[in-house]
Amino acid sequence: MPLIETVGLSKHYGPVKALDRLDVSVEPGIIGLVGANGAGKSTLIKILLGVIPPTSGKATVAGLDAVTETREIRHLVGYMPEHDCLPPDVGATEFVTHMARISGLPRTAARERTAEVLRHVGLYEERYRQIGGYSTGMKQRVKLAQALVHDPKVLLLDEPTNGLDPTGRDEMLDLIKRTGTDFGITVVVASHLLGEIEQVCTYLLAIDAGHLLNAAPISHFTQRTAVLAVEVEQGAEELAGLLTSKGARTTVDGACVLVVINGDGIYDVVRDSVADLSLPLVRMQQERRRLEDIFRDPVPAGEANQ
Amino acid sequence: MTSNSPVVVAAPTGSIYDLGYRHYEGARRGRVWAMWSLYAESLRGIWGFGRPMSAKAIPLILAGLYSIYALIQLAFSSVFANMRAQGEEVTLVTYADYFTAMWIFLFFFCVAQAPEVVCRDQRYSVLPLYFTRALGRVEYAAARLASLATAIFIVLMIPNIALFIGDILMKTDTFTAIGDEVPKALPSIPASVLIALGLSAISLALSSFTPRRAYAAIGIVAYVLLMEAIPAVIYSIGRSPVSTESSNGMDRLFLLTPVTALQGANAWFFDAHLDPNTFLGHITAEEYLVAAVASVVVFTAVLMFRYRRVAA
Repeated sequence: MPLIETVGLSKHYGPVKALDRLDVSVEPGIIGLVGANGAGKSTLIKILLGVIPPTSGKATVAGLDAVTETREIRHLVGYMPEHDCLPPDVGATEFVTHMARISGLPRTAARERTAEVLRHVGLYEERYRQIGGYSTGMKQRVKLAQALVHDPKVLLLDEPTNGLDPTGRDEMLDLIKRTGTDFGITVVVASHLLGEIEQVCTYLLAIDAGHLLNAAPISHFTQRTAVLAVEVEQGAEELAGLLTSKGARTTVDGACVLVVINGDGIYDVVRDSVADLSLPLVRMQQERRRLEDIFRDPVPAGEANQ
Repeated sequence: MTSNSPVVVAAPTGSIYDLGYRHYEGARRGRVWAMWSLYAESLRGIWGFGRPMSAKAIPLILAGLYSIYALIQLAFSSVFANMRAQGEEVTLVTYADYFTAMWIFLFFFCVAQAPEVVCRDQRYSVLPLYFTRALGRVEYAAARLASLATAIFIVLMIPNIALFIGDILMKTDTFTAIGDEVPKALPSIPASVLIALGLSAISLALSSFTPRRAYAAIGIVAYVLLMEAIPAVIYSIGRSPVSTESSNGMDRLFLLTPVTALQGANAWFFDAHLDPNTFLGHITAEEYLVAAVASVVVFTAVLMFRYRRVAA
């Protein structure tokens, strides 16, 4: 059974369709939820949490219905909101302990878990200071800690690297990766930064304007594609013409000729063609599909899949 | 540390400090525990425990100001006892009229602390963290309300206890004094419960509509003072100058007053006479009691309604 599943999930705000008949099925792992701002990432997370009801359709977390079994779900999920959510005039320890108790942990367990989780996210001496004096990076860590403190099965992180500098970003991503791989907690990371998703996630859900654009393991997106990029200093058009006449499928992209690899023989064909035309060859490389391509019109990649 | 602990040395991998992540296998309690935790945290917050010194000053000062008259009377109880022994007439403040006389400080306590209870969570967007846990919106509001009511109840009981001790100290025979005083003091407990619920429901309901403490405080002051003043103005305009008898029904408006209704209800518990200088019109203590209970119900409903709708 998938950990998170939605069937025909829609959420309309008046005429605005934040989610439109979304069908998603997620297995445990680190899941990247990508989409532009307003694509419906936060809406999906909030529906899964049972904070807002869907207009139609069904969402389940660990087999529990997000509308009718909200309370059971909430023991299983931890949520890190996108925005600031920390009162400035209490210490991190006190705040996280309080949140642990609200999650149902008894007094002693709440204190122990808080100490453990704050150590895990990398807050040490400063944990007793008031949160108001923290840097953005430290605040993000406290936000992550409060989401983790009750040991959830699923962690829903909404833009966890918001406002962080490059170092802080890397640290946060590393933390997310460790949480997902070492602790066996399924993490859903919503982000509009594909680079981040590429770094940490094992599975990708791309949504755009409330529709599911793509859903597949991350390797599927970044795997070597059967396209050979041949960069020449000049004569790209001639080369493409010659290759096409020899039966290869090509696309010209600036100084590059993208050749669909249809067998090992293609390398010889390319070599011979370049030699015949005496073109100055710069490089020959198998192209990797990049994550960005899923939001672009994937011309060469699309051909490669045919 | 490792030297006297050979087992650790023998351990194949890892540092003894790195315990790794451990899953939590213990008990998970339900919403009653969540409400209790929120109630306790909230009550601590009202008194500034776990917060900076400045957060403790205001509630303590206002609680002190509300109780000061009773505390002074307690301090001078032996003096008053001597005066009484010498046959002098001494008028002392009683349980029944303490709130009516000193309510303004308790009101300021509400104005200062009710926004503290509910505005912070909206201002700093903490609410989503609560509402994505096993704590419902109504439960959240109920726990917050209970905590403020408890805090106000504590403030109300300080002078009552001081008056109680003072009255006992004034008597020579302590045991019979306790026997005499307890029945007189007991109505102050249900009366204080009602006053605490009334004041906390009004001030929290109004505070819950804004994330800004200052606006909430202004809102409470404006509402209470206007609702105290408007019925009095309409009543005095409507009252015929010829007849002192007010039978035009305008005095019913006094049932809408937030504080006067509580004062009247307070008098009902002590079976006390309603001083016509304080209580204008012809309204009985029973009617004030009904009005006070109704206002608790209405403002609690407003508070719950607000939290059913507030964005998380």
